[in-house]
Amino acid sequence: MNDTKKYYAGLDVGSVSIKAALTSEKRLIASSLIASGGNYKDGARKVMDDVLSQAGISMEQVSGLVVTGLGAESTPFTARQISDISCQAKGCHCLFPSARMIIDIGGQFTKAAKITPEGKIADFLMSEKCATGSGRFLQVIARILHVSLDDIGPLSVQSQKPVEFSTNCAVFAESETISRIAEGAKAEDILAGVHRAMAAKVSMLVKRLKLEPDVVLTGGGGEDAGLVQAVGCALKVKILVPEKPRFSTAYGAACLAEETKA
Amino acid sequence: MSAVQKIEELYNERGKRAKELHDAGKKVIGYFCCFVPDEIITAFDMVPYRIQGSQNDPIDEADALLEPMACPFARSCFNMALKGEYDFLDGFVAPHSCDTIERMYHIWRSNKPSPFNHMINVPHMMGPSSDVFYRKELDYFIKRLEEFSGTKLDQNKLRDTVKLYNRRRALLRELYALRKENPPRVSGTEITKVLVAGMGIPALEHIQLVQDYIDEIKGRPVPKADVLPRIFLWGNEIDDIAFIRLVEECGAHVVMDDLCTGTRFFWEDVSETNDPLDGIANRYICTHCPRSLKPQVGNRQEDMENRFGYMKEFISQWQANGVIFYIVRYCDTCELEGPDLREYLNSLKLPVLMIEDDYSTSTIGQLRTRIQAFLEMIS
Repeated sequence: MNDTKKYYAGLDVGSVSIKAALTSEKRLIASSLIASGGNYKDGARKVMDDVLSQAGISMEQVSGLVVTGLGAESTPFTARQISDISCQAKGCHCLFPSARMIIDIGGQFTKAAKITPEGKIADFLMSEKCATGSGRFLQVIARILHVSLDDIGPLSVQSQKPVEFSTNCAVFAESETISRIAEGAKAEDILAGVHRAMAAKVSMLVKRLKLEPDVVLTGGGGEDAGLVQAVGCALKVKILVPEKPRFSTAYGAACLAEETKA
Repeated sequence: MSAVQKIEELYNERGKRAKELHDAGKKVIGYFCCFVPDEIITAFDMVPYRIQGSQNDPIDEADALLEPMACPFARSCFNMALKGEYDFLDGFVAPHSCDTIERMYHIWRSNKPSPFNHMINVPHMMGPSSDVFYRKELDYFIKRLEEFSGTKLDQNKLRDTVKLYNRRRALLRELYALRKENPPRVSGTEITKVLVAGMGIPALEHIQLVQDYIDEIKGRPVPKADVLPRIFLWGNEIDDIAFIRLVEECGAHVVMDDLCTGTRFFWEDVSETNDPLDGIANRYICTHCPRSLKPQVGNRQEDMENRFGYMKEFISQWQANGVIFYIVRYCDTCELEGPDLREYLNSLKLPVLMIEDDYSTSTIGQLRTRIQAFLEMIS
């Protein structure tokens, strides 16, 4: 290990998972993720310990830390807090300088943000308490179909004739899914239909902000190839996805830590 | 007791003073919204009481009668009534401000009737014929109050109450002027308490309280100037400090508002006309509630100016650099006003954050990250 190297960390305490990112000169050195569960403090400590041990350093060697996310207040670390939307903007800007629009599909919310060429937020919107545009919707449908979350994307992209959902409500869509299964619809067609319904909801948020490419899709939704494809179709643009879409906020937090210390 | 303490007490124990007055034999008339002239009720020697909900209590009993997708503020008020918390009201007056209030009036009257129940029909389209119509409605309201009280309305008394309420308006404007400074001499949280305290007590008592309060504030040491964002708040009913306190805790000053619990109810004076009802009718019909429509004027830009131009002064003089729409969920009149108003404010180079929320303090915390992001965006 080169001792002169300076390390920075970002911690994203989300409603579904807690993520830590360790960077040096804005390069991602290590990352770690854990399900949030009922204790944010423990989870935060675990992911931090994990990234530190991956890099073989101690907490004292971290020159700056920024904490973000819904649970930012309940972390064991004393650190600067910055909103997840700002961290997300920074992370996406560092990864894709051409990004002007970010869609983050997380477990609880979907966010859309417009960013300036400098990576500052210009405007943003969040899905209100509606599950259709969030990861929760997919979880519900996957449970009914007995499909694991990782298989959703690969299955969905195989669909030849996606099921049309007549409702935009996750609760009603659940019963509609069951009816379609009874009618003999295939799992991949149902999933592709769900992706379309979600994409319609997401693209409405984006259109409210007035679409401007390039568009980056982050959050757990970014790991779902079927969803990425559906959003791309709905918006008629190419969608950029980070290599680790669930870490872009934690990564952005680390980048912000680096910028404030520099 | 200092004015601050008195306000705190009135804010926390709402209805207490009105109940005392009711127990002492005064008639307390509960009403909704900004379209029921306090002046008329006060001229009958009765006490007007602006009905509030309770953001801290869940809505349970009301949901047996009202649909859950109805305005949660209206449901909360009705819930309190069903639980007996408004039993001190001798009268219940609702204007046809929006459809929820209008329909709920009937359900309320059927299930929890007051000795006096009345609805004032307020036209939605503003214009000369509306003034005449509304004026007639006020005549009818007065006739009903005369029957209820057994006394004739005294025109001189009405003239006096017009002066009384204008005095209160002038004082509240004086208080608001202290928010122009950097930092504001009085916070949005504090202002909300002052306004809520005034909803349930006679105007004369509120005037004294606000006067004392202003004197106390002027005696405070002058704080150092800062660079925090200054927020203009637009929306409907905010009768709890929770949301405004959250915005201020996130690092901003809430400096001005266009809310029905704020400037909307007190900003403009009633003209002291020869026939006091002329001034009253003209003032109240012009209340800036998104439920009212102004006839279209000129091209789109001129029309927007005609509808929203009054906010320009609020924004420039109070130096707001961001706007938050805080809308109680399912308020379709506010939500439908949103797109045009956003466009207008953006044309004034003001960023807008729209928040639609349940009428409940338990949901407030979820808004923190959104407010933080907005403040980071504008600062």
